[in-house]
Amino acid sequence: MLSGKSFREAIEYELKRANNVASDTVSKCVESYHGIFSEVLKENINISKNMEMPLCQDTGIVEFFVFRGRNVRTDFSIAEILEECVRNVYASNPYRYSTVEDPLFSRINSGNNLPPVIHFFEVDGEKIEIRFLIKGGGSENLSFLKMMNPSSSEEEIIDEVVSHIRSKGAKSCPPLHIGVGLGGTSDKAMLLAKLALTEKPDSHNNDDAYALLEKKMTDRLNKLNIGFQGLGKGITVYSVHVKPYPTHIATLPLAIAVDCYLCRKGCVEFEF
Amino acid sequence: MNFRNLKIGESFLYSGEMIIMRDAAHKRISEMVEKKERIPLDFKQKIVFYAGPAKKKAGMVCGAIGPTTSERMDKYLDMMFSLGVEATVGKGARTEFAAQLCGKYGKPYFVAPSGSAAALAYRIKEFEILFFEDLGAEAVQRILVCDFPLMLAIDAEGNDFFKI
Repeated sequence: MLSGKSFREAIEYELKRANNVASDTVSKCVESYHGIFSEVLKENINISKNMEMPLCQDTGIVEFFVFRGRNVRTDFSIAEILEECVRNVYASNPYRYSTVEDPLFSRINSGNNLPPVIHFFEVDGEKIEIRFLIKGGGSENLSFLKMMNPSSSEEEIIDEVVSHIRSKGAKSCPPLHIGVGLGGTSDKAMLLAKLALTEKPDSHNNDDAYALLEKKMTDRLNKLNIGFQGLGKGITVYSVHVKPYPTHIATLPLAIAVDCYLCRKGCVEFEF
Repeated sequence: MNFRNLKIGESFLYSGEMIIMRDAAHKRISEMVEKKERIPLDFKQKIVFYAGPAKKKAGMVCGAIGPTTSERMDKYLDMMFSLGVEATVGKGARTEFAAQLCGKYGKPYFVAPSGSAAALAYRIKEFEILFFEDLGAEAVQRILVCDFPLMLAIDAEGNDFFKI
């Protein structure tokens, strides 16, 4: 049986990697950017990796998505260990404590970056898969939900996404990764949009119609020319991922979630 | 330095002092202004940098640091200019209202590179926490920077790079 210790070590390793080391997709994209601040962005990727510093001072609130095989049993609490991972990694690295205990009244800094946000899903199979996002506040503030008319066309959905990014995209460190949730209920749509952000930026939907929708959205968004840092040069989005779900006859929820150009995320699988 | 010679969209390397302040410190200052309490810092001629650095790594002057979204501070901009602030530094486009205030007071807004916090940490030569220490990363802090990359985004006439 998987021990809590090896589970914890694997997650902690990945949390640190996501904060300090840019993915190949991100590195290549930054490498190809020539414009204002391009030199410092390139320098940053090297310094972070070599000096074990975070790529961004906003080391985020951590969101976990736990996919647990229906027959998998553990002798530890997954939620407790994930919390412990966040506590350890944020205490032992030069990261920022970016959470406050009460959202409205005291807003006192938690001083440990807890709690993470954790979602559990039961799935087929004999494994546990943990996906996570290092979610910075600037990109999180671009989250969007609209209950569309159920008879909306594909064009109207695309227009809504484009209009949202046109008005707000420059504020959240583009090029962006866009997650779109379509269907379900309002809360489900938002969760789908977040799950879409856990996909690799260069992958696409298995369903041809949705893969084409993702491509259409990506092309339209890149025509906005928001560019790196919102300064007009380079691509505006890496890609768009759409996750659909069955919905009520009267509804068509549309949710948008956004990740900044650093796309700090990870995925760890444990076989049983 | 003389900001008047710069055109919007022009970048340069700044060396000098900046006061770090973000959401929570602005809110607290505004409450103090409302209650007519003494403000713990003379903001005259100060450049305010919207930021909240990460923890320091051993042996470094300052932790990873970078700009946060300026627009959230727009509602405090009039107050900060009234207190004497000379210029602001952050990331991203601001509201039209903020650009008008820059023009009205003749005070520019600069953007700094976002998501390059490790590289920027090495350009900090002095660092101190001034007050509101209980706010953690959101405390008011003073830094001295060397060759810190900035771009003029709104000039002293209120012309806005993001609107052209």
